[in-house]
Formats: sequence, C-alpha cells, structure tokens
Amino acid sequence: MASDRARRELSDTQFALAIGMPVFVFLVIVVAYPLGYAIWMSVHKIVFFGGYRSTFTGWANFARVLSDPNFWWSTWVTIRLTFEAVMLTMLLGLALALMLNRPMVGGGLVRTVVFLPWCVSLYGAGLMFAYLARGQTGLGTSIAYAFGSMASVDLMTREVVIEVLAVGAAWTMAPLVAFFLLANLKTIPSRLYDLAALDRLSRFETFWNVTLPPLRYTLFVFTSIITVLSMKLFDFIFVMTGGGPGTTSATLTYQIYKVSFKNLDLGYGAAMSFYLLFFILASTFLLYLVWGRRETRF
Amino acid sequence: MRRNRYLAIAVVLALLWSLVPIYWFCRMALLTPLEIQQYPWPLFPRAPNVASFWNIFGYDYFLSDGTRVPASGQANQIIRGLYDSIFVSVVVTVLTLLAVLPLAYVFARLEFRFKSVLLFAILLSVALPPVSTLIPFYAMYIRLGLSGTLTGLVIVDLTITVPFVAWMLIGYFRNLPPIERLARMDGYGRLAAFVQLVIPLAKSGIAVAAVIAFLFAWNEYTYALVLVNGSTANTLPTAISGFLFQDPQPANLAASVVVTIIPPALVAYFLQRHVGEMNLVDPVR
Repeated sequence: MASDRARRELSDTQFALAIGMPVFVFLVIVVAYPLGYAIWMSVHKIVFFGGYRSTFTGWANFARVLSDPNFWWSTWVTIRLTFEAVMLTMLLGLALALMLNRPMVGGGLVRTVVFLPWCVSLYGAGLMFAYLARGQTGLGTSIAYAFGSMASVDLMTREVVIEVLAVGAAWTMAPLVAFFLLANLKTIPSRLYDLAALDRLSRFETFWNVTLPPLRYTLFVFTSIITVLSMKLFDFIFVMTGGGPGTTSATLTYQIYKVSFKNLDLGYGAAMSFYLLFFILASTFLLYLVWGRRETRF
Repeated sequence: MRRNRYLAIAVVLALLWSLVPIYWFCRMALLTPLEIQQYPWPLFPRAPNVASFWNIFGYDYFLSDGTRVPASGQANQIIRGLYDSIFVSVVVTVLTLLAVLPLAYVFARLEFRFKSVLLFAILLSVALPPVSTLIPFYAMYIRLGLSGTLTGLVIVDLTITVPFVAWMLIGYFRNLPPIERLARMDGYGRLAAFVQLVIPLAKSGIAVAAVIAFLFAWNEYTYALVLVNGSTANTLPTAISGFLFQDPQPANLAASVVVTIIPPALVAYFLQRHVGEMNLVDPVR
C-alpha cells in the first residue's frame, strides 16, 4: 500500500517477473511440457497393452504418416472444409455486420439473437445440424412433406456432407466475425457517407471506397483466426458426422483422434498432429504473405 | 422506404438463420410421445408440453389427458453431468481470471526482456489443436492417475482458456487510459495501483473475459470425451453424447441439449454488448 513507499521500488522487469512468474511457470507446465512430451512421443512407438512400453524409433512415425493414404485423404478433406467454412463465415459475418450497423427497432434483441449461435457449444450445434440434415428428422424432409411429398431429403451424403459441415461451422463462427466488424464499422465517421452522397457515389462505390477500407485489416485478421479455428475443428465434426459417411468427412483432427484414441497408436498420432500444427502455422503465414503484409492497421 | 423493406427482409433472414437450428431442438423437446411416432415430426408441436424437461431430471410427467410420460432412464447421468459441468466451469473461470489478470496487465503495460518471445508462445498455444494437446495429456494422465477426474479436466481446460483470455485482455488493458502512472505519482505502489484502480476501471473487460472462460469450460467437449468419458466425472456434454448410443427418447435428448444452451443464452445479451470492446485484432501493436 501507500505506506510501503519506504521500500525500494521494483524495476519494471522485476515487477513483471514477480507478478507474471507464477503464470509463466503454470504455462510452461501446462502447455510447454505436454508439447515437449508430444515431441518425445512422436519419435517413439508407444504400447499401452500389457504395461506401458516405449521404444525409440526416430523419424519412423513421421515417415509413416507421409505414406499413409488416410492422412492425405484427411488433408484434402481439411483443406476443402476449411476453404468453404472460411469463405462462408467471412461473407456471412460481413453481411450480418452491415445489417446490424443500420439503426432499427428492437436492435438489442436482434443483435442478441444473431450472436446466440456463437454461444452454443460446438457439440450442441453438431447435434442440431445432424438432426437438421438427416433424412429421417431433417428440415428438407419437413419442407418436402409440407409440399405434399413423402420424399426423404438426406443431406448427410458423400456428395454434400462437407458442405453441410461448412454451413454448420459458419453458423457458429460468423457471429464473432460480425461483432468485431460491427465494432469497426461504428468508428467510420458519418461525415464520410455525407461526402460520398455529395459525390453521387453509387451504393456499391460507397461500400467499396468508404466502408471497406477500414475493415480490411480486421477482415485479414479474422480470416486467419477462422482458418485456424476451422482446421482445429473437431467436436462439431465428431458429433455431427463421426467422419462419415465412411471416411468422407474425416478431417485431420478426426483422423488424429481415431489413430490416437481408437487405435491407441499414440506415437503415430502425435507425429500426425505435428503435421497438422505445421499446416496451421503454414496457412496463417501464407495468408500473411499474400494478404496481411499489404494491409495497414487502423 | 424501399431500403427499409430490404433491411426488414435481411433481419428476418438473419433471425431465421440464427434460430432455426435452435428451434429444431426446442420443438423436439416439446413434442408428445405420440407426435414423435409420426413421420416426419410435425414442424410445430400441436400441444407443446414440458414433459421431457421433467423426465431428464428423473420425474414422471402426466399430460393433460392423463398419459404418463415416464422418467428418463438416463436421469442420473444427466444430473451428475450437470453438477460436474457447473463445478468445472466455475473453477476454470476463477482460476483463469486469477492467472490471466496479472499476466495480461504486465504484458500490456510494462516493457521487459523476452516480451515478444513470450507473447509469441501465448499465440502459439492458442493455435494448438486440442486434439494434439490431448495426446500427451492422455498418456500423462493415465500414468499419474488423473484420467477420469475433474481435477484433470480443469487443468486441461486451462490450457485453452488461459492463453486465449490472456490474448484478449492484453489488448483490452492497452486501451485503458494510463491512470496508474498518475496514481503512482500520488504515492500508490504498483500492486495497489493495479488492484485498487486498474481492476475496477477494467471491470467490463474482465467480465467479458470471465464469461468467455465460463463458456469455454461449459461447452468444452473434446477433452471431456477422451479424458473423463465413461468415468464418474462425466460432464454434461459427454453425458449427453454417452446416452446417444443408448437410444434415448428424442424428446429427452433434445431437452437435455436445450438445458446446456440455457447458460449461453443467458449471457448472449451481455456478451454482444461488450465483445466488440475486446481488442482481438491486434493487442500487441
């Protein structure tokens, strides 16, 4: 307290260490140590049955991943899902933000309802979309029935299941994007719109020249965030499709889960998860190179 | 006027898009056993009834025509899961705040060596996929006897909440006016300035952080699935997915999912008002 002033003041670094040290230690124990342990596991063959045993195998696990057709299939599924989910989420987020930025009656209620999907858990959303898409209980079947058809409209098929997953993922993630874009939109001075009207800009020109520029950096950051989230997505897929039908929607996360906790091949799973981590870091870096580097921060 | 009509259409579409999946389950929960046997299930329940909400907590329910809707056989799992979920979420929220508040403050306001390296480490741990963190934790927990315990689950949940909430709050603290400099000229110590001035000033940001940590823990499924599923320390999500395979009454399944959505629905209004204040975009300018 103020009476402790007699004591010598700590320097910034000392204070940072004193107050931050417990947390650093905690983060090291809880994040860095398991990460290190995962690296150790990835170069071992680990056997659980008949007592825990591990034998050093060097790069064998990493090499095995590269010759595993399931891994390459899952990589493709992950890329397709991520691309679709990111496009949908960003477009939807932008559309929702532009809509919410207009003054309207009952705006607070509308904003709450639009934000709600983000608060719903991913497994809850997975269950909901599973029931919505399935032929037996789905929206499609109900609509067909309302028009007098008894057809069962099943969307959980090989052809479109990934698209359905992407729609569901966008349902849960778009609100977050929308609200950060909305916060950004609110900082645009209305004077600029008056000037745009004076210049007789069309609505599209106004959007392109007045609204969009201050959003671009946020759009870039959220494209990166949503990319990472989509590549990490697991519980939603696990609950909704279980990687199915067959292995149609087995993303890398699902494949890692299956290898590690169904087949209990932990060393191999750890090796595969490092490929996923590499893909995640590489794609954000790529986004930065082709887009983020050129954006200025507002 | 035409603009207003477009806006109205857009609002209706947005509301439908957001609510249809949720409505789908609320409606399922309100259907009578008789309606469940129809094909397809009616879009609007003709006689909405709350039987399934009683059933999942272990009570029989009598419809107005006297039909008895029996209690769900999975009631014990659900009640247990609810207690465990509440316990885990509250503990995770408290521990996250205790850990993150000082950390975020230090990163936001002070310059020290290795700061950018440590920040990068925090960002990296946000990017880690939960499935990969699970592998070492699974092996460690089996050897330490922590699998199937709530303690174990709390520790793993913190690996998500601490880095993410720290990332959020660093940006928030940076945007606060630097009042503690003035306070320190007036003779406040560092700690006193932080506890007595900065924390009260930052209370809406801290509340958002707390709510988000709570939601993470409440909604967390992947870790629970692998680490505590099937044990006595089941949380609500795994309890529900566990009884998916026991062929539940669809109405009971829907009701228990609706129960898990209640806390998120309650905080949605608060969060949508304040989430934009958080500086996720670039906390470390």
